Amino acid sequence: MGKGRYLLKRFVYIVFVFFIISILMFAIYKSMPGDPVDIMLGDSKTSMKPDAYQALYDKTVKDLGLDKPLPVQYVAWMGNMLTGEFGYSTQYKQEVINIISAPMINTVLLNILTMIVVFIIAIPLGIVTAVRKNGAFDKTVQVVTIVGYSIPTFIVALLAIFLLAVKFPIFPISGVKSAGLNATGLEYVLDRLWHMALPVLVMSVSGIGGITRYVRAAMIDVLRMDYIKTARAKGLREKTVVYIHAFRNALIPVVTITTWWVVGLFGGSIVIESVFLWPGLGKMLIDGLLQRDFAVVLTMQMFYVVLSLAGNVIMDIAYTIVDPRVRLED
Amino acid sequence: MNMRKLLCAALAVVMVFALVACGQQNVVSNSSSEGTQAAVEATAAPEAGKPTEPTGQLVIGTTTDLENDFYDTSFSNAATNYKLYDLIHGYGTVVSDKEGAWIYDPTVVASHEEVENEDGTKTYTVTINDGLVWSDGTPITAKNYVFQLLLESSPEMNQVDGYPSQAGYPLVGYDEFFAGETKNFAGVHLVDDMTYSVTVKAEELPYHYDITYALASPRPMHVIAPDCDVVDAPEGAMITGDFTAELLQKTINDSKTGYRYNPSVVCGPYLFESYDIASRQGTLVVNPNYAGDYRGVKPMIEKIVVKTVKSDTMINELASGSVDLLFQSSGADTINAGLDLVDQGKAQYSTFFRNGYGKVQFDCSQFPTDSENVRKAIAYCLDRNEFARQYSGGYAAVVHAYYGLAQWEYQESKDWIDQNLNTYEKNIEEAKKLLEEDGWNKNADGSDYSGTGTRYKEVDGQLKPLVIEWANTDGNPVSELLATMLPEAMAEAGMELKATTMDFPTLLSGIDHTSDKIYNMYNLATGFALASSPWYYYSTDPVWMQAGYNSNWIVDEELAAAAEVLKPIAYEDDEAWLAAWQNFIDVWNDKMPDIPLYSDEYYDFYSNKLHGWESTSVWEWSRAVLDAWVEA
Repeated sequence: MGKGRYLLKRFVYIVFVFFIISILMFAIYKSMPGDPVDIMLGDSKTSMKPDAYQALYDKTVKDLGLDKPLPVQYVAWMGNMLTGEFGYSTQYKQEVINIISAPMINTVLLNILTMIVVFIIAIPLGIVTAVRKNGAFDKTVQVVTIVGYSIPTFIVALLAIFLLAVKFPIFPISGVKSAGLNATGLEYVLDRLWHMALPVLVMSVSGIGGITRYVRAAMIDVLRMDYIKTARAKGLREKTVVYIHAFRNALIPVVTITTWWVVGLFGGSIVIESVFLWPGLGKMLIDGLLQRDFAVVLTMQMFYVVLSLAGNVIMDIAYTIVDPRVRLED
Repeated sequence: MNMRKLLCAALAVVMVFALVACGQQNVVSNSSSEGTQAAVEATAAPEAGKPTEPTGQLVIGTTTDLENDFYDTSFSNAATNYKLYDLIHGYGTVVSDKEGAWIYDPTVVASHEEVENEDGTKTYTVTINDGLVWSDGTPITAKNYVFQLLLESSPEMNQVDGYPSQAGYPLVGYDEFFAGETKNFAGVHLVDDMTYSVTVKAEELPYHYDITYALASPRPMHVIAPDCDVVDAPEGAMITGDFTAELLQKTINDSKTGYRYNPSVVCGPYLFESYDIASRQGTLVVNPNYAGDYRGVKPMIEKIVVKTVKSDTMINELASGSVDLLFQSSGADTINAGLDLVDQGKAQYSTFFRNGYGKVQFDCSQFPTDSENVRKAIAYCLDRNEFARQYSGGYAAVVHAYYGLAQWEYQESKDWIDQNLNTYEKNIEEAKKLLEEDGWNKNADGSDYSGTGTRYKEVDGQLKPLVIEWANTDGNPVSELLATMLPEAMAEAGMELKATTMDFPTLLSGIDHTSDKIYNMYNLATGFALASSPWYYYSTDPVWMQAGYNSNWIVDEELAAAAEVLKPIAYEDDEAWLAAWQNFIDVWNDKMPDIPLYSDEYYDFYSNKLHGWESTSVWEWSRAVLDAWVEA
């Protein structure tokens, strides 16, 4: 009963926050200087006679509903959003739903692969360094991870391009696939992976640095606990002590990071996407802002709002799974 | 026209040497003589080894993304898409030739006739050559041309994502047809299977580029409106059958199968093969049914792939072989990196001047840049040669008025320009003199100007400071350089420069006068269209200002009159045009609505496998690719 009531309250809270944020976002974007219709019509302005352009401009404003008062525009926008109509992109001159899937897939693919790489490397590394605390291996990893964590992503990206694409041309400099490739099946997958290698490598560097240190710190705390001493005193194997008794109890901070990482799967990186010309959601968002393409920008922003709010709830639920002592109550 | 052709024929070679041959035309080129020679050699490469059948693949790197839109510029104005329209859609009746002159395309047009009517209108009758076919083998007839004019002027098409439907705007009966008042377009006729005619409104004449009124391009009616037909009547041509907006939504605008996204039947040199949304790559393959461009030239490269590159790494992409051609590269870093590659024998290049310039654009409706003297004083505060040198690293030239270095008028007028135009060499004393003459001779307290600090002027009984509000964009090297070169010199002359940095849409809203704040000056760049029409851009009619043509908002009768004189000059009358053009340039140079800053020297860098590459500012890569070939 407690868990259900808690979740219901959280749901009401999410709906409330969602609407408040939507009003704020809508008001902020609509107050930005710059005319989306003017930008949308682009060169038509100086390729058409003034009266014809004005007629086209007025028609476009009307078609997009921009001639109505802002509260009316908001209600129409929100009503459409809730029924799955995300509006019309003034930049791409298409429905938002038609243009958002390709960059979303690009972003999610990149983030999933990065997450897999990071967790496969960082969690065992964090555990091993915690177990061998203050040893030569631990100290080396500490230095390396702090360097990886500290160097700005774009520096790592440029270094990676220089070393692994220019100096030693192992990977492509940029792009999603080889020019003119008409492959399917395994060849296609391998080509995509080959193009993903550098961006994944760069994104993994800071991720591995951060998560290794989180896991290490959590594990060190747990390994000091009495129940770990008890487990060892019982004669359990060290692997059982570390991976079963200690690691599970060290999972709470890891769950926090993992949850945000999963939420962040849909968040594109402007830096990575720009450097590697990886057309994802980050670039789409910044392009949308620069082009005053409010349908795209607002759709993405509200999507992120929902993800963030839902992420908090998911995180709370995950805590109860990894630690039975945690209860979802008011 | 002959003189123009003769002049333009030498353009490519002249461009190469222009930097060293400009005389007073200030030049800041970095090109070595060896490099210049290499460029000549590259452009003059013999045709030995040219294949007889299309072969190979050319990967073209572009710094602007290719969008998923392949109909025309009215749907997408992405720069790269423009070029793909050229390659996919062909057989326009009027085209620009290699020298930038408008001509009837002899591959398409069998004959043409122009008749001036008694009511002031003018009728162009065009007969299409037999034997032209669509990529699916369907014959191309005059119906396809008339269909295009009707379709792209129709209210039905206007309902497809706000398509402007302006194709027939200058033609008689357009207004009634576009408004849906009549199904017949009075100014368009299907004369016979291979002939169409268009009649231009009297108020659209005379017009220097009136040959372009005869332009029509075929559209595949059997794909776009399969159950419709085009018929003629005394009231004009019309589309019969179930021609509705709903039909066009399906055949043109369907996001998967629509002609806009999947132009399956075309008649240009290349066929649309695919657009990969995930990678933003477009692929074209050669059209075996293509009859050739206006010279009869057919493409010899089998496949073209267009992909996005980043300016920082595009030379590395060329070196790695992931792209074969980088076009219109500018800026010292990129050009020097490219030339290094050329020196290593890993690439080739050709070079030409941009047909446009970077500029400081004044808003001449705002105080105090409404004053000619103030604008000129600012111009005198900037060392433009040094600016061009620092900005471009030497790969640019300075122009002194509203002209581009690729224009034939400039080529013909170089000596005249040297002798007649004010070059506005940096001269603070001259700036001070102009400001004194303009009444800027007070201090803030109303006393006579002390010689230091900001000048004031009494306007309507109020003392106003000489403050120039400058809007610029973030991360723009031109803005950064101006910010280091202008303020101190302007302060010395008694002007205060207040800079505000913003994003481009905000800057545009200032220029358009749609934002709350309007500025005195902006730094921008401009390019010249082949049908350069300055009479619109300096018209004193408020309509042309509000529409964005006269973006200087300059109301100067002398300048407007000098530009207006150009409009009615017959296209063939080069002599009259040149004289009027020189007068216009002279007046412009005196009024200084902009300060021209630099005109880039563009470089095309390409791999050693590409041969026969000859592009210029008026013969861009989408045209040049027809003459080129790649090693198999």
